[in-house]
Amino acid sequence: MTSIVGVKVEATAYGDRKVFSVSAFNRGIATWLQRLPTVWVEGEVTELKRHPRWQSVFFTLKDPADGACLGVSMPRGQFDGLRLGLADGDRVHAYGRPELYAARGEFRLRALSLERFGLGDHLAALERLKRKLAAEGLFAAERKRALPVWPRKIGLVTGNDAAAKRDVLTGIQTRFPPAHVVVAETYVQGPRAAGAVVDALRRLCEVPELDVVVVARGGGSFEDLLPFSDERLVRAIATSPVPIVSAVGHEQDTPLCDLAADVRASTPTAAARLVVPDLGELHERLERARSGLGRGARRSLELKITRLGQAHERLRRAPALLVERRRAALEQTAGRLQALSPKATLNRGYAIVRAREVIVRSAAAAKTGERIDVEVSDGRFGARVE
Amino acid sequence: MSSEPTFESAQRELEQIVQRLESGETGLDEAIALWERGEELYRFCLGKLDSAQGKIEQLASRVEAARP
Repeated sequence: MTSIVGVKVEATAYGDRKVFSVSAFNRGIATWLQRLPTVWVEGEVTELKRHPRWQSVFFTLKDPADGACLGVSMPRGQFDGLRLGLADGDRVHAYGRPELYAARGEFRLRALSLERFGLGDHLAALERLKRKLAAEGLFAAERKRALPVWPRKIGLVTGNDAAAKRDVLTGIQTRFPPAHVVVAETYVQGPRAAGAVVDALRRLCEVPELDVVVVARGGGSFEDLLPFSDERLVRAIATSPVPIVSAVGHEQDTPLCDLAADVRASTPTAAARLVVPDLGELHERLERARSGLGRGARRSLELKITRLGQAHERLRRAPALLVERRRAALEQTAGRLQALSPKATLNRGYAIVRAREVIVRSAAAAKTGERIDVEVSDGRFGARVE
Repeated sequence: MSSEPTFESAQRELEQIVQRLESGETGLDEAIALWERGEELYRFCLGKLDSAQGKIEQLASRVEAARP
Protein backbone atom coordinates (compact mmCIF):
# COMPACT_ATOMS: atom_id res chain seq x y z
CA MET A 1 0.00 0.00 0.00
CA THR A 2 1.13 3.49 -0.73
CA SER A 3 -0.71 6.78 -0.78
CA ILE A 4 -1.86 9.47 -3.19
CA VAL A 5 -2.20 12.74 -1.26
CA GLY A 6 -2.92 10.86 1.92
CA VAL A 7 -5.30 8.25 0.45
CA LYS A 8 -3.99 4.69 0.82
CA VAL A 9 -3.96 2.92 -2.54
CA GLU A 10 -2.42 -0.39 -3.67
CA ALA A 11 0.62 0.01 -5.87
CA THR A 12 3.05 -2.37 -7.49
CA ALA A 13 6.72 -1.73 -7.07
CA TYR A 14 9.05 -2.05 -10.08
CA GLY A 15 12.40 -1.46 -8.52
CA ASP A 16 12.11 1.95 -6.90
CA ARG A 17 9.13 2.98 -9.09
CA LYS A 18 5.63 2.65 -7.61
CA VAL A 19 2.94 2.10 -10.21
CA PHE A 20 -0.83 2.32 -9.72
CA SER A 21 -3.43 0.47 -11.70
CA VAL A 22 -5.97 2.74 -13.40
CA SER A 23 -8.64 1.42 -11.09
CA ALA A 24 -6.57 2.05 -7.97
CA PHE A 25 -5.63 5.53 -9.17
CA ASN A 26 -9.25 6.43 -9.86
CA ARG A 27 -10.37 5.06 -6.54
CA GLY A 28 -7.64 7.03 -4.79
CA ILE A 29 -8.69 10.27 -6.49
CA ALA A 30 -12.37 9.51 -5.91
CA THR A 31 -11.75 8.94 -2.21
CA TRP A 32 -9.78 12.17 -1.94
CA LEU A 33 -12.50 14.17 -3.74
CA GLN A 34 -15.03 12.99 -1.20
CA ARG A 35 -13.29 15.13 1.39
CA LEU A 36 -14.28 18.31 -0.41
CA PRO A 37 -17.23 20.24 1.01
CA THR A 38 -20.75 20.36 -0.36
CA VAL A 39 -21.37 23.60 -2.25
CA TRP A 40 -23.92 25.46 -4.39
CA VAL A 41 -23.13 25.82 -8.10
CA GLU A 42 -25.07 28.02 -10.50
CA GLY A 43 -25.45 27.29 -14.19
CA GLU A 44 -27.76 26.57 -17.09
CA VAL A 45 -29.12 23.06 -17.54
CA THR A 46 -28.28 21.37 -20.84
CA GLU A 47 -28.23 17.79 -22.15
CA LEU A 48 -30.64 16.50 -19.52
CA LYS A 49 -30.77 12.68 -19.65
CA ARG A 50 -33.31 10.76 -17.67
CA HIS A 51 -34.19 7.12 -18.09
CA PRO A 52 -36.69 5.13 -15.97
CA ARG A 53 -34.22 2.29 -15.57
CA TRP A 54 -31.33 4.49 -14.48
CA GLN A 55 -30.58 5.16 -10.85
CA SER A 56 -29.53 8.72 -11.61
CA VAL A 57 -30.38 11.49 -13.98
CA PHE A 58 -27.55 13.24 -15.77
CA PHE A 59 -27.20 16.73 -17.13
CA THR A 60 -24.57 19.32 -17.84
CA LEU A 61 -24.40 22.67 -16.08
CA LYS A 62 -23.14 25.37 -18.40
CA ASP A 63 -21.71 28.73 -17.44
CA PRO A 64 -23.61 31.27 -19.59
CA ALA A 65 -20.63 33.63 -19.56
CA ASP A 66 -17.96 31.49 -21.17
CA GLY A 67 -19.56 28.11 -21.82
CA ALA A 68 -17.56 26.24 -19.16
CA CYS A 69 -19.27 22.90 -18.47
CA LEU A 70 -19.74 20.65 -15.46
CA GLY A 71 -21.31 17.19 -15.59
CA VAL A 72 -23.92 16.61 -12.90
CA SER A 73 -25.53 13.42 -11.66
CA MET A 74 -28.46 13.31 -9.28
CA PRO A 75 -30.39 10.41 -7.74
CA ARG A 76 -33.43 9.93 -9.96
CA GLY A 77 -35.89 9.67 -7.06
CA GLN A 78 -34.76 12.99 -5.62
CA PHE A 79 -34.77 14.65 -9.04
CA ASP A 80 -38.29 13.46 -9.82
CA GLY A 81 -39.49 14.43 -6.34
CA LEU A 82 -38.62 18.09 -7.00
CA ARG A 83 -40.94 18.22 -10.05
CA LEU A 84 -38.97 21.11 -11.51
CA GLY A 85 -39.97 20.35 -15.09
CA LEU A 86 -36.58 21.60 -16.28
CA ALA A 87 -35.85 22.40 -19.90
CA ASP A 88 -32.59 23.20 -21.65
CA GLY A 89 -31.30 26.66 -20.76
CA ASP A 90 -33.07 26.89 -17.40
CA ARG A 91 -30.90 28.39 -14.74
CA VAL A 92 -30.48 26.40 -11.55
CA HIS A 93 -28.57 26.27 -8.32
CA ALA A 94 -27.27 22.74 -7.68
CA TYR A 95 -26.21 21.71 -4.18
CA GLY A 96 -23.66 18.89 -4.22
CA ARG A 97 -20.10 17.74 -3.96
CA PRO A 98 -17.47 16.87 -6.56
CA GLU A 99 -17.07 13.20 -7.35
CA LEU A 100 -15.11 11.02 -9.72
CA TYR A 101 -17.01 8.29 -11.53
CA ALA A 102 -14.28 5.75 -11.00
CA ALA A 103 -15.30 3.33 -13.77
CA ARG A 104 -14.76 6.03 -16.43
CA GLY A 105 -12.47 8.48 -14.69
CA GLU A 106 -15.10 11.19 -15.18
CA PHE A 107 -15.26 14.13 -12.86
CA ARG A 108 -18.69 15.55 -12.07
CA LEU A 109 -20.90 17.09 -9.44
CA ARG A 110 -23.05 14.74 -7.41
CA ALA A 111 -26.11 16.86 -6.77
CA LEU A 112 -28.20 16.33 -3.66
CA SER A 113 -30.60 19.14 -4.31
CA LEU A 114 -31.58 21.43 -7.14
CA GLU A 115 -33.39 24.77 -7.26
CA ARG A 116 -34.52 26.90 -10.10
CA PHE A 117 -32.93 30.32 -10.09
CA GLY A 118 -34.97 32.75 -12.11
CA LEU A 119 -35.74 36.40 -12.55
CA GLY A 120 -37.70 36.54 -9.30
CA ASP A 121 -34.73 35.27 -7.33
CA HIS A 122 -32.44 37.80 -8.99
CA LEU A 123 -34.86 40.58 -8.15
CA ALA A 124 -35.16 39.47 -4.54
CA ALA A 125 -31.38 39.23 -4.18
CA LEU A 126 -31.03 42.66 -5.75
CA GLU A 127 -33.61 44.16 -3.42
CA ARG A 128 -31.84 42.71 -0.38
CA LEU A 129 -28.52 44.12 -1.54
CA LYS A 130 -30.11 47.49 -2.27
CA ARG A 131 -31.56 47.70 1.25
CA LYS A 132 -28.27 46.66 2.81
CA LEU A 133 -26.20 49.22 0.88
CA ALA A 134 -28.79 51.94 1.45
CA ALA A 135 -28.66 51.21 5.19
CA GLU A 136 -24.89 51.73 5.03
CA GLY A 137 -25.55 55.15 3.48
CA LEU A 138 -23.88 54.34 0.17
CA PHE A 139 -26.66 56.03 -1.81
CA ALA A 140 -27.05 59.04 0.49
CA ALA A 141 -27.45 62.43 -1.17
CA GLU A 142 -24.75 64.01 1.01
CA ARG A 143 -22.19 61.61 -0.47
CA LYS A 144 -22.75 62.97 -3.97
CA ARG A 145 -19.97 65.16 -5.25
CA ALA A 146 -20.26 67.99 -7.76
CA LEU A 147 -18.80 67.33 -11.19
CA PRO A 148 -15.88 69.50 -12.31
CA VAL A 149 -16.78 72.26 -14.79
CA TRP A 150 -13.62 71.79 -16.78
CA PRO A 151 -12.18 68.29 -16.20
CA ARG A 152 -8.53 68.00 -17.15
CA LYS A 153 -9.01 64.37 -18.17
CA ILE A 154 -12.18 62.31 -18.42
CA GLY A 155 -12.20 58.56 -17.85
CA LEU A 156 -14.60 56.36 -19.79
CA VAL A 157 -15.37 52.78 -18.81
CA THR A 158 -17.25 51.00 -21.56
CA GLY A 159 -17.50 47.92 -23.74
CA ASN A 160 -14.95 47.66 -26.54
CA ASP A 161 -17.18 48.42 -29.50
CA ALA A 162 -20.29 49.58 -27.80
CA ALA A 163 -22.67 52.15 -29.23
CA ALA A 164 -22.57 53.63 -25.72
CA LYS A 165 -18.87 54.35 -26.15
CA ARG A 166 -19.42 56.05 -29.49
CA ASP A 167 -22.28 58.13 -28.07
CA VAL A 168 -20.23 59.37 -25.13
CA LEU A 169 -17.17 60.19 -27.24
CA THR A 170 -19.21 61.94 -29.95
CA GLY A 171 -21.15 63.87 -27.32
CA ILE A 172 -18.00 65.02 -25.58
CA GLN A 173 -16.16 66.01 -28.73
CA THR A 174 -19.08 67.91 -30.21
CA ARG A 175 -19.66 69.94 -27.11
CA PHE A 176 -16.08 70.41 -26.06
CA PRO A 177 -13.48 69.59 -28.73
CA PRO A 178 -10.47 70.13 -26.43
CA ALA A 179 -11.58 67.30 -24.11
CA HIS A 180 -9.00 64.72 -23.16
CA VAL A 181 -10.64 61.31 -22.72
CA VAL A 182 -8.99 58.16 -21.40
CA VAL A 183 -10.95 55.09 -22.45
CA ALA A 184 -10.85 51.84 -20.50
CA GLU A 185 -12.51 49.01 -22.38
CA THR A 186 -13.82 46.13 -20.34
CA TYR A 187 -16.38 43.40 -20.35
CA VAL A 188 -19.76 44.95 -19.69
CA GLN A 189 -21.73 41.71 -19.70
CA GLY A 190 -21.50 38.33 -18.04
CA PRO A 191 -20.07 37.22 -14.71
CA ARG A 192 -16.63 38.68 -15.42
CA ALA A 193 -17.99 42.15 -16.12
CA ALA A 194 -18.31 43.34 -12.51
CA GLY A 195 -14.70 42.49 -11.65
CA ALA A 196 -13.51 43.92 -14.95
CA VAL A 197 -15.31 47.22 -14.44
CA VAL A 198 -13.98 47.49 -10.88
CA ASP A 199 -10.48 46.90 -12.21
CA ALA A 200 -10.92 49.44 -15.01
CA LEU A 201 -12.18 52.03 -12.53
CA ARG A 202 -9.26 51.46 -10.19
CA ARG A 203 -6.74 51.81 -13.01
CA LEU A 204 -8.43 54.90 -14.42
CA CYS A 205 -8.32 56.58 -11.02
CA GLU A 206 -4.56 56.13 -11.05
CA VAL A 207 -4.24 58.24 -14.22
CA PRO A 208 -2.87 61.67 -13.21
CA GLU A 209 -5.19 64.68 -13.63
CA LEU A 210 -8.23 62.49 -14.21
CA ASP A 211 -11.11 64.50 -12.74
CA VAL A 212 -14.24 62.50 -13.59
CA VAL A 213 -15.24 59.05 -14.85
CA VAL A 214 -18.19 58.02 -17.00
CA VAL A 215 -19.37 54.43 -16.77
CA ALA A 216 -21.40 53.79 -19.91
CA ARG A 217 -23.29 50.78 -21.12
CA GLY A 218 -26.19 50.67 -23.51
CA GLY A 219 -29.50 49.03 -22.82
CA GLY A 220 -29.83 45.31 -22.35
CA SER A 221 -31.88 42.65 -20.70
CA PHE A 222 -32.31 42.63 -16.96
CA GLU A 223 -29.68 39.91 -16.73
CA ASP A 224 -27.28 41.78 -19.04
CA LEU A 225 -27.32 44.68 -16.61
CA LEU A 226 -26.92 42.56 -13.48
CA PRO A 227 -23.14 43.10 -13.24
CA PHE A 228 -23.87 46.79 -12.69
CA SER A 229 -25.70 45.87 -9.52
CA ASP A 230 -22.85 43.71 -8.29
CA GLU A 231 -21.88 44.58 -4.73
CA ARG A 232 -18.17 44.97 -5.52
CA LEU A 233 -18.91 47.28 -8.42
CA VAL A 234 -21.42 49.35 -6.49
CA ARG A 235 -18.99 49.77 -3.61
CA ALA A 236 -16.15 50.66 -5.96
CA ILE A 237 -18.29 53.39 -7.51
CA ALA A 238 -19.41 54.76 -4.14
CA THR A 239 -15.85 54.94 -2.83
CA SER A 240 -14.16 56.13 -6.02
CA PRO A 241 -11.69 58.99 -5.41
CA VAL A 242 -13.08 60.90 -8.41
CA PRO A 243 -16.74 61.71 -9.14
CA ILE A 244 -18.54 59.17 -11.30
CA VAL A 245 -21.34 59.57 -13.81
CA SER A 246 -23.32 56.41 -14.40
CA ALA A 247 -24.98 55.94 -17.78
CA VAL A 248 -26.05 52.33 -17.70
CA GLY A 249 -29.07 50.90 -19.49
CA HIS A 250 -32.14 52.88 -20.43
CA GLU A 251 -34.14 55.41 -18.47
CA GLN A 252 -36.36 52.77 -16.84
CA ASP A 253 -33.45 50.58 -15.68
CA THR A 254 -32.01 51.42 -12.32
CA PRO A 255 -28.99 49.23 -11.69
CA LEU A 256 -27.55 49.83 -8.23
CA CYS A 257 -24.48 51.53 -9.71
CA ASP A 258 -26.82 54.38 -10.75
CA LEU A 259 -27.71 54.93 -7.10
CA ALA A 260 -24.10 54.87 -5.92
CA ALA A 261 -22.77 57.17 -8.66
CA ASP A 262 -22.43 60.91 -8.00
CA VAL A 263 -24.66 61.68 -10.95
CA ARG A 264 -26.92 59.45 -12.98
CA ALA A 265 -27.29 60.16 -16.69
CA SER A 266 -30.31 58.83 -18.57
CA THR A 267 -28.25 58.09 -21.69
CA PRO A 268 -24.58 58.04 -22.72
CA THR A 269 -25.15 61.26 -24.68
CA ALA A 270 -26.59 62.91 -21.57
CA ALA A 271 -23.50 61.76 -19.65
CA ALA A 272 -21.31 63.56 -22.21
CA ARG A 273 -23.26 66.78 -21.64
CA LEU A 274 -22.71 66.47 -17.91
CA VAL A 275 -18.96 66.02 -17.88
CA VAL A 276 -17.80 68.77 -20.24
CA PRO A 277 -18.73 72.43 -20.61
CA ASP A 278 -20.06 73.76 -23.91
CA LEU A 279 -17.13 75.41 -25.66
CA GLY A 280 -19.40 77.86 -27.50
CA GLU A 281 -21.03 78.90 -24.24
CA LEU A 282 -17.64 79.31 -22.59
CA HIS A 283 -16.56 81.64 -25.40
CA GLU A 284 -19.75 83.66 -25.10
CA ARG A 285 -19.46 83.95 -21.36
CA LEU A 286 -15.86 85.04 -21.68
CA GLU A 287 -16.71 87.70 -24.27
CA ARG A 288 -19.58 88.92 -22.08
CA ALA A 289 -17.19 89.23 -19.16
CA ARG A 290 -14.75 91.14 -21.31
CA SER A 291 -17.26 93.66 -22.57
CA GLY A 292 -18.43 93.99 -18.98
CA LEU A 293 -14.84 94.69 -18.06
CA GLY A 294 -14.57 97.55 -20.58
CA ARG A 295 -17.98 98.91 -19.60
CA GLY A 296 -17.16 98.65 -15.93
CA ALA A 297 -13.83 100.39 -16.30
CA ARG A 298 -15.41 103.19 -18.36
CA ARG A 299 -18.22 103.58 -15.90
CA SER A 300 -15.80 103.71 -13.02
CA LEU A 301 -13.87 106.46 -14.81
CA GLU A 302 -16.97 108.43 -15.82
CA LEU A 303 -18.19 108.37 -12.27
CA LYS A 304 -14.85 109.75 -11.14
CA ILE A 305 -14.97 112.50 -13.78
CA THR A 306 -18.49 113.50 -12.77
CA ARG A 307 -17.50 113.67 -9.13
CA LEU A 308 -14.41 115.67 -10.01
CA GLY A 309 -16.53 118.14 -12.03
CA GLN A 310 -18.91 118.56 -9.15
CA ALA A 311 -16.06 119.14 -6.74
CA HIS A 312 -14.52 121.70 -9.07
CA GLU A 313 -17.80 123.57 -9.40
CA ARG A 314 -18.17 123.75 -5.67
CA LEU A 315 -14.59 124.91 -5.35
CA ARG A 316 -15.18 127.69 -7.87
CA ARG A 317 -18.23 128.91 -6.04
CA ALA A 318 -16.57 128.73 -2.66
CA PRO A 319 -15.14 132.35 -2.39
CA ALA A 320 -18.38 134.05 -3.46
CA LEU A 321 -20.25 131.82 -1.10
CA LEU A 322 -17.92 132.84 1.68
CA VAL A 323 -18.50 136.60 1.07
CA GLU A 324 -22.23 136.01 0.88
CA ARG A 325 -22.20 134.24 4.18
CA ARG A 326 -20.12 136.97 5.83
CA ARG A 327 -22.44 139.63 4.50
CA ALA A 328 -25.49 137.86 5.80
CA ALA A 329 -23.87 137.47 9.20
CA LEU A 330 -22.95 141.15 9.23
CA GLU A 331 -26.46 142.23 8.36
CA GLN A 332 -27.84 140.08 11.07
CA THR A 333 -25.50 141.68 13.58
CA ALA A 334 -26.44 145.11 12.30
CA GLY A 335 -30.08 144.25 12.81
CA ARG A 336 -29.43 143.19 16.34
CA LEU A 337 -27.42 146.38 16.94
CA GLN A 338 -30.29 148.46 15.60
CA ALA A 339 -32.65 146.81 18.00
CA LEU A 340 -30.46 147.80 20.90
CA SER A 341 -30.10 151.49 19.80
CA PRO A 342 -32.10 154.20 21.81
CA LYS A 343 -33.20 155.61 18.47
CA ALA A 344 -36.20 153.35 18.42
CA THR A 345 -37.23 154.62 21.87
CA LEU A 346 -36.93 158.26 20.72
CA ASN A 347 -39.18 157.41 17.76
CA ARG A 348 -41.88 156.49 20.19
CA GLY A 349 -41.78 160.14 21.61
CA TYR A 350 -39.22 159.89 24.38
CA ALA A 351 -36.37 162.46 24.65
CA ILE A 352 -32.89 162.46 26.09
CA VAL A 353 -32.00 165.49 28.19
CA ARG A 354 -28.37 166.50 28.67
CA ALA A 355 -26.92 169.23 30.88
CA ARG A 356 -23.28 170.05 30.23
CA GLU A 357 -23.19 166.92 28.00
CA VAL A 358 -24.25 164.71 30.91
CA ILE A 359 -27.58 162.87 30.74
CA VAL A 360 -30.03 164.24 33.28
CA ARG A 361 -31.46 161.27 35.10
CA SER A 362 -33.30 163.03 37.98
CA ALA A 363 -35.25 166.24 38.51
CA ALA A 364 -32.84 167.27 41.26
CA ALA A 365 -30.01 167.34 38.72
CA ALA A 366 -31.73 170.14 36.76
CA LYS A 367 -30.97 173.59 38.17
CA THR A 368 -33.32 176.44 37.44
CA GLY A 369 -32.08 178.77 34.69
CA GLU A 370 -29.57 176.25 33.42
CA ARG A 371 -29.32 175.64 29.70
CA ILE A 372 -29.99 172.03 28.62
CA ASP A 373 -29.92 170.03 25.41
CA VAL A 374 -32.96 167.99 24.39
CA GLU A 375 -32.52 165.18 21.85
CA VAL A 376 -35.60 163.81 20.07
CA SER A 377 -35.87 161.35 17.24
CA ASP A 378 -34.96 163.70 14.43
CA GLY A 379 -32.48 166.11 16.10
CA ARG A 380 -31.62 168.35 19.04
CA PHE A 381 -32.76 171.68 20.36
CA GLY A 382 -31.77 173.86 23.34
CA ALA A 383 -33.98 174.79 26.34
CA ARG A 384 -33.77 176.51 29.71
CA VAL A 385 -34.89 175.02 33.02
CA GLU A 386 -37.57 177.09 34.85
CA MET B 1 -0.31 71.45 -9.75
CA SER B 2 1.75 74.51 -10.64
CA SER B 3 0.78 77.96 -9.52
CA GLU B 4 -0.99 78.58 -12.84
CA PRO B 5 -4.68 79.14 -12.14
CA THR B 6 -7.29 76.85 -13.62
CA PHE B 7 -9.61 78.15 -16.30
CA GLU B 8 -12.45 78.04 -13.81
CA SER B 9 -10.72 80.09 -11.13
CA ALA B 10 -9.53 82.62 -13.72
CA GLN B 11 -13.01 82.95 -15.16
CA ARG B 12 -14.48 83.36 -11.68
CA GLU B 13 -11.98 86.09 -10.80
CA LEU B 14 -12.67 87.86 -14.09
CA GLU B 15 -16.40 87.93 -13.40
CA GLN B 16 -15.84 89.19 -9.87
CA ILE B 17 -13.69 92.00 -11.23
CA VAL B 18 -16.41 92.95 -13.71
CA GLN B 19 -18.96 93.07 -10.90
CA ARG B 20 -16.71 95.22 -8.79
CA LEU B 21 -15.99 97.61 -11.63
CA GLU B 22 -19.65 97.89 -12.53
CA SER B 23 -20.50 98.86 -8.98
CA GLY B 24 -18.39 102.01 -9.50
CA GLU B 25 -17.26 101.88 -5.89
CA THR B 26 -13.59 101.42 -6.64
CA GLY B 27 -10.92 104.08 -6.45
CA LEU B 28 -9.43 105.22 -9.75
CA ASP B 29 -6.06 103.53 -9.27
CA GLU B 30 -7.84 100.40 -8.15
CA ALA B 31 -10.20 100.54 -11.14
CA ILE B 32 -7.28 100.74 -13.53
CA ALA B 33 -5.48 97.91 -11.75
CA LEU B 34 -8.64 95.79 -11.84
CA TRP B 35 -9.17 96.49 -15.51
CA GLU B 36 -5.60 95.46 -16.33
CA ARG B 37 -5.95 92.31 -14.25
CA GLY B 38 -9.27 91.56 -15.94
CA GLU B 39 -7.74 91.88 -19.41
CA GLU B 40 -4.93 89.60 -18.34
CA LEU B 41 -7.42 87.00 -17.07
CA TYR B 42 -9.43 87.33 -20.28
CA ARG B 43 -6.35 86.66 -22.40
CA PHE B 44 -5.42 83.73 -20.18
CA CYS B 45 -8.87 82.15 -20.48
CA LEU B 46 -9.03 82.72 -24.21
CA GLY B 47 -5.59 81.17 -24.57
CA LYS B 48 -6.77 78.16 -22.62
CA LEU B 49 -9.79 77.75 -24.87
CA ASP B 50 -7.79 78.12 -28.05
CA SER B 51 -4.75 76.06 -27.14
CA ALA B 52 -6.40 73.01 -25.57
CA GLN B 53 -6.04 70.01 -27.84
CA GLY B 54 -8.65 67.28 -27.87
CA LYS B 55 -7.35 63.79 -27.27
CA ILE B 56 -8.72 60.30 -26.92
CA GLU B 57 -6.39 57.69 -25.58
CA GLN B 58 -6.84 54.08 -24.63
CA LEU B 59 -5.87 53.01 -21.17
CA ALA B 60 -2.60 51.18 -21.75
CA SER B 61 -3.39 47.50 -21.39
CA ARG B 62 -6.72 45.94 -22.09
CA VAL B 63 -8.43 45.01 -18.88
CA GLU B 64 -8.40 41.29 -18.27
CA ALA B 65 -11.06 40.50 -15.79
CA ALA B 66 -10.25 39.15 -12.40
CA ARG B 67 -12.01 35.89 -11.88
CA PRO B 68 -15.46 36.39 -10.51
